[in-house]
Amino acid sequence: MSITIDDVKKLAKLSRLEFTEEETKEFVKEFEATLNQVDAINRVDVSNIDLLEKTIDADTELRKDEITPSLRADEIVSNAPASEDGAFLVPITVAED
Amino acid sequence: MKYLDYSLTEIIEKLKGGEVTSVELVKECFERIKETADLNALNSTYEKEALARAKAIDETRGRGEDVGVLGGVPVVLKDNINYLGTRTTCASKFLENFISPYTATCAQKLHDAGAIVIAKANMDEFAMGSSNENSAFGPVKNPVDNTRVPGGSSGGSACTVKARQCFMSLGTDTGGSIREPSSFCGVVGIKPTYGRVSRYGVVAFASSLDQVGPLTRTVRDNALALSIIAGADPMDMTSSQTEVPNYLSDIDKGVKGLKIGMPSQFFTDKLSPSVRSSLDKAIEWYRENGAEIVPVELPSVDTALAVYYVISSAEAASNLARFDGVKYGVRAENYEDVVDLYFKSRTQGFGKEVKRRIMLGNYVLSSGYYDAFYRKAKRVQKVIRQEFLSALEKCDCLISPTTATPAFKLGEKANDHVAMYLTDIFTVPVNIAGVPALSLPCGVDEEGLPIGMQLIGKHFDEAMLYRVANAFELAHKEGK
Repeated sequence: MSITIDDVKKLAKLSRLEFTEEETKEFVKEFEATLNQVDAINRVDVSNIDLLEKTIDADTELRKDEITPSLRADEIVSNAPASEDGAFLVPITVAED
Repeated sequence: MKYLDYSLTEIIEKLKGGEVTSVELVKECFERIKETADLNALNSTYEKEALARAKAIDETRGRGEDVGVLGGVPVVLKDNINYLGTRTTCASKFLENFISPYTATCAQKLHDAGAIVIAKANMDEFAMGSSNENSAFGPVKNPVDNTRVPGGSSGGSACTVKARQCFMSLGTDTGGSIREPSSFCGVVGIKPTYGRVSRYGVVAFASSLDQVGPLTRTVRDNALALSIIAGADPMDMTSSQTEVPNYLSDIDKGVKGLKIGMPSQFFTDKLSPSVRSSLDKAIEWYRENGAEIVPVELPSVDTALAVYYVISSAEAASNLARFDGVKYGVRAENYEDVVDLYFKSRTQGFGKEVKRRIMLGNYVLSSGYYDAFYRKAKRVQKVIRQEFLSALEKCDCLISPTTATPAFKLGEKANDHVAMYLTDIFTVPVNIAGVPALSLPCGVDEEGLPIGMQLIGKHFDEAMLYRVANAFELAHKEGK
């Protein structure tokens, strides 16, 4: 499996992460090592495996769709790096003309 | 140290009998925490709050009122478990100042049983790691040999129990993160069946694999702790409705007549001689005490690590997308617009290993690769799960080493992530299959480093693991 510098750059963008040129090069090497390891999944015959078929009875339940008390907005917003009047504050995303 | 050498079960009796108060215990814990601060096991401590709660519990007990099964016992939570009003950092710079606005169900259950949360334990950032060297707040040291790693990602949780800073802790296990540190530090840790313990309020790493479990100094303590935190939770739709049995009722029944499976794939030449010989002795002990050792096969288990890295990274990339510098966590100082804010905050907030997993996760999920990696891995997962079920049909539980070697040196594998990933080869398959597994001490190597054995059970049959582990532990007291 080979990975190029452009692949890593594209992935970084998808991941919303920035890397220096050096880090990008390092990632290419690391990725190849990891992908070689991951290649082991191709050794198993899965032709008879149906992903939709349930193997174990999960025995789980959804809770009733009832209104219950939830956290207050001010409690949630108190962890935000920037807030105003109980709302998250972000840079302008839609520019004014 | 007067009381901290006692087990959880013993200290509960002493509290009940009035031999010691909860305030005395909390004070002793904090003395010990200060003495052993260089281990770096804890990210936050709550001395004032813990003492106040201990005083209140002592008073309630004094009035003859019920204080709960764990009434007044000091406990520690891994730092990815929310507990109202405490800092929950996941050992990440990103969440350095995050204060829990609510309490996780597992922590609530401990609280309701009367436990006193005295601290939050250090860990690998977002539970990604096998040595605790990925913490933004520095590595935890192994309390048995402080030049070595305690294991990860619940390294702080294992360390704090072994170092006698508390009587029990909670950890989380996605691919071995409770069992590997338990093995390296010489404590008992269980990864319960997927769905046995609610994950509500536990910061998600890989949601289909994560489980919470207790770390303790004895098997009996562990059984007691799991019985408190296990059970269905309306807030976690993956939590099972299966009834929680009394894990203590069969714990002393011994192993006579039981069948213990020995998967040949777990007894390879990769085992260090000391691990091999400890396991051989343990297996011989089980045989001498009436258990039948049966050979079993898990033919595809050597691919579990690959399956794990695809699935866990894919889920991690998705779960960690929420860290954007807007809703909580740290925001970068200089940015041009909102997208740049995401880029800069994530780049500055996450550590290297976390970035590595996000990148791998997005790779295996990206268009053109999804079928080749993610779907393929999910299919292989089914094969592995089926192999475990077939093997477990032939016996009551499986036995294996928890890790191939005892604890390694700090820094030894820090620059070789593939070698680091390989430390989890015996623990990862268990999460892939969703079955429960427990690690317990089964000896020490020539340098006195703990060695752990892993017992793997059928879905929701944790009681069998406790029974088999307890028999061994009682006959080998010094391991306590």
